[in-house]
Amino acid sequence: MKKLFSFLRSMRFGVLLLALIGLCSVAGTVIPQGREIAWYAQTYRSFHAAILLLRLHRVFESWYFIALILLLCVNLSLCSLTRIRSVTRAAKNEGDRAAALPDQKLLTSEGLAVLRAHMEAMRCREEKRGGVTLWRKNGFGRYGTFVTHLSILLTVVFGALALYTPTTEDHDIMPGETLTLEDGTQIRIDSFRLTDETGRLDYESTAEITLPDGRSSGVVPIRVNHPVSFGSYKLFQQSFGTAGSITVTDLAGGGSDEFLLTETSFLTADGRSGLWYEVLYPDYIRAPSGEVTLITLTEGSYPNPIYQVLVVSGEEYTPTLAVPGDTLEVFGLRFTFNEPVEYPGIRVKHVSRLFNGLLVAAFTLMILGLYLTFFCEPVLVKTDESGYAVAGPRPERMRIELENLLEEYAIEAKPSP
Amino acid sequence: MKALFFAALVIYAAAVVLQFSGTAFKKDALLRASWYVFLAAFALHTVFLAARGVAAKRLPLSNQFEFANAFAWGVALMVIVLKIRLKADWLCAAGMPAALLVMGYAAMQPMEIHDLMPALRSAWFGVHIGSAVLSYSSFVIAGVCGLRWLMAEKKGGEKRVLDQMDYLGYRMIAFGFLMLTVVILSGAIWAEQAWSAFWTWDPKEVWALITWIIYAVYLHLRLRRARRGAFTAWYAVVSVPVVFFTFAGVNTLMHGLHTYG
Repeated sequence: MKKLFSFLRSMRFGVLLLALIGLCSVAGTVIPQGREIAWYAQTYRSFHAAILLLRLHRVFESWYFIALILLLCVNLSLCSLTRIRSVTRAAKNEGDRAAALPDQKLLTSEGLAVLRAHMEAMRCREEKRGGVTLWRKNGFGRYGTFVTHLSILLTVVFGALALYTPTTEDHDIMPGETLTLEDGTQIRIDSFRLTDETGRLDYESTAEITLPDGRSSGVVPIRVNHPVSFGSYKLFQQSFGTAGSITVTDLAGGGSDEFLLTETSFLTADGRSGLWYEVLYPDYIRAPSGEVTLITLTEGSYPNPIYQVLVVSGEEYTPTLAVPGDTLEVFGLRFTFNEPVEYPGIRVKHVSRLFNGLLVAAFTLMILGLYLTFFCEPVLVKTDESGYAVAGPRPERMRIELENLLEEYAIEAKPSP
Repeated sequence: MKALFFAALVIYAAAVVLQFSGTAFKKDALLRASWYVFLAAFALHTVFLAARGVAAKRLPLSNQFEFANAFAWGVALMVIVLKIRLKADWLCAAGMPAALLVMGYAAMQPMEIHDLMPALRSAWFGVHIGSAVLSYSSFVIAGVCGLRWLMAEKKGGEKRVLDQMDYLGYRMIAFGFLMLTVVILSGAIWAEQAWSAFWTWDPKEVWALITWIIYAVYLHLRLRRARRGAFTAWYAVVSVPVVFFTFAGVNTLMHGLHTYG
């Protein structure tokens, strides 16, 4: 049991887990993830069975990948616990041990003066102990690795919570329309516009969120990179589209309705005759002969929209093209083709602010931990009247720095203990 | 403006030729000339970077060309800073060609200036991509240190200098690792704002994680004193292609959310 515990918290195990996670990740990028089974069968032919068996088509959701992450959490937890204990214990009598160290380098009196000046320039704290002087700095740096390991553990835990607990839905909402969510929260899109004709530069919606208790966000803008948070919802500007707009008027009754169309639809009063809306093209070229060439490869706004419809009269279908402003009358109905309407694709995310906040806190802690580890290395140098010795948990930097600085003043070198 | 870029590229190449000649013929004058030519190339490169930023009205870091250009600038900057601060003359022989290689890759990319797409218009743009430039540059310099260690060791170099090379390589990896962590974490926060999720297993994200893991393993393995030296030198050298793959290979060979051109 002791052996198992020792292995689970060991650096060797941690490195092994990191290597395996790295290998799985490579596989997860080389083999496209989450496609249809048929795609793998077609692309990888005889290998596809092995890919499916090993779940290489969904590596990051596979049981073994999750098991590796869980084991890494165990390793990090145990390693953090033992690390903090050993670091704290070592810090207790570190000064006494450093004071008892024999000199690693013997220096001339000039060298000792240079060393003293260097330690003072480094703003090290001077501490007299017995007949020796201890120079200390960045004692808190010893906790850097502990903070780093702990923050990685917290990042994995809070990251999983922040990644897998929210629910996300995508909705196309026409300007002026209101979407009602399951819990009664209402999202009304007030307006939508493209900043430029191509839609590549930016696009913006204005929306109002009303919570079930009646609280309202007011009309607020939503842009890419600038989501809106209100209550436990976060709204993202995800995409945009263009809908055909046709007003249908009943010539007999006089009533009329406007339809916003994003897919093939049949507009009819009797179920037999009417108008099949097929598609809206963004642009067209009309030749002098009157022949029309439809253009599909335009991004962003529709500069010269044109409707492709079928006029349906019983069994007869007549393909027709119409531009905004045109009207058609079919069996007592008048169809007026309007300017198309641009609409936003909104992503609605139900989030836990607590998990998001904790994750960002873990991120900050990780940066702090790494900074402490690599840039606040503890300094502990013992000097006496004949030389110096470098001590502390991470003596390498000072050893190299002092060796370079004092090379010409060394009168005898002793091997490091 | 292209002329500035190509002038810097040619002057970098001249510095490398002088460096190689100086090393081969053991002529200090050539090595000194190489250093001043390199400084001149760097100055020109800096002017180009600034001019590009002014022309684009943003940080010039948005596509493969701009990133590679900034990456080469980062490598050159580190060579200069480390040589001056640590008197690490040995860094030039491999550091200068490294900057030239990255610059050469940049020269092969389309150089047109485009407006930023909506997903890139964020306060995180500078933090995320700027730290990636620093991170990748540090890893390349660490590889350079590794290479120089292996060459110096083969020639029976002095232990003190070998230790200095090994330690500098470690420090560069430590700095690069911190910067790569900033890249990944700032990217996660930015992704949540732009795409609604902190992490999407996008190939670029995953390869940044793989690079992070590779250097995390290095930092752990180096804790054992016995592994310092040849092992860590080889490790630092062999890891550099992974950094290049994360930077260029992923965008070229894999399709994902980070494919901006």
